Amino acid sequence: MTVVIGFEGSANKIGVGIISDGEVLSNPRRTYITPPGFMPSDTARHHRAVILTVLKEALEQAGLKPADIDCVAYTKGPGMGAPLVTVAIVARTVAQLWGKPLLGVNHCIGHIEMGRLITKSNNPTVLYVSGGNTQVIAYLERRYRIFGETIDIAVGNCLDRFARVIKISNDPSPGYNIEQMAKKGTRYVELPYTVKGMDVSFSGILSFIEETVFAMLVETTERAMAHCGSQEVLIVGGVGCNQRLQEMMGVMCKERGAKLFATDERFCIDNGAMIAQAGWEMFRTGRVTELEDSWITQRYRTDEVEVTWRD
Amino acid sequence: AAKLRDACPARSAAAGSDRPWQRLSDGAPRSSAAEPSSLTDRSFLDVPFPSSREATIALRSLSPDREPRRGGISKQLSVSGSTLSVRWSADEARILRVSVNSFLDHLSLVVETMEDFGPPVDL
Repeated sequence: MTVVIGFEGSANKIGVGIISDGEVLSNPRRTYITPPGFMPSDTARHHRAVILTVLKEALEQAGLKPADIDCVAYTKGPGMGAPLVTVAIVARTVAQLWGKPLLGVNHCIGHIEMGRLITKSNNPTVLYVSGGNTQVIAYLERRYRIFGETIDIAVGNCLDRFARVIKISNDPSPGYNIEQMAKKGTRYVELPYTVKGMDVSFSGILSFIEETVFAMLVETTERAMAHCGSQEVLIVGGVGCNQRLQEMMGVMCKERGAKLFATDERFCIDNGAMIAQAGWEMFRTGRVTELEDSWITQRYRTDEVEVTWRD
Repeated sequence: AAKLRDACPARSAAAGSDRPWQRLSDGAPRSSAAEPSSLTDRSFLDVPFPSSREATIALRSLSPDREPRRGGISKQLSVSGSTLSVRWSADEARILRVSVNSFLDHLSLVVETMEDFGPPVDL
């Protein structure tokens, strides 16, 4: 039995989760919501104020003591610097206090491994969509290859900024509120649709509607599937909660005879357990992070990591 | 006390004062408006811990990350006995202040974590 605790706080969510051999034992999380948007130093302050409480909750809800933990995983990057440092400091400290090995995890890979665990998909083409990231990813020979990505801003960022312009509330999240309003919409307005090969661009169409941007993402995901001969799609990241996106992706998948996988808001939104899960996979192949090498980094590409745990 | 005197001669009177356990020295005070601050090329902080092990844990938690600002500031952490020492080198007071404030926030987080989840296990 291998038990891993994961710490995540690269954006405005701070979460600590515990995984034991594929079972999520606990996954508490807090979200920092502030109009109009969240700034790094305020976010770091928020995380600092609650992280130890969330850590205690994670242990209590899992019914575990520190001695039961085998490895401490934390988000190395990518993300916002100040919040990343805050969380890494606590992870490093408890790893040393408890005498456990430390493991720095790529945030995007956390999303992917959590998606794979929960959905039990085999080898899906992955669409990773959140406030900070938009990538189409396929696994090939020990790397999560980035087939396509945004050439400017993430789709979630685009949605958030749109919400801000038309003054939609950001509680619980701007994207959620856009979705609720969009459900009542009846008119489709044609806007710039920007797909360049495998990549997408969102900054030119800030006044967009879901239909257009999601269609762009479905197109690029389909292109990656065609290249890889893939019959599975997995959507991860906060924007993956959006049912319209899932619906549109589902239509494309049905046309191709492929399967669509997605997780619910517990796991597609940033959480600690996903870091624990990726950490669990890495730890079982013998990976650890030495303290001197445990620095955080705001830029950390998904394909920089050697995926030693898959064939 | 001697180190404090060397770093800021004009403050030697304060050197023997009542708080031997923690000093933040920022060099010569601004005694005259015309004189440029010689200050910020050497500032330091000594933080005592209950044991050498805990001082080392703090060191290893606080040292890996680079300063967010690349130029104009650097700091060195070291442990001696059960004291964690930090030395800053900065070009401007403003840059120094940001780094020190940030460090103190992080240090207090380490201390709080140790209070809630310590003491360190026997290895």
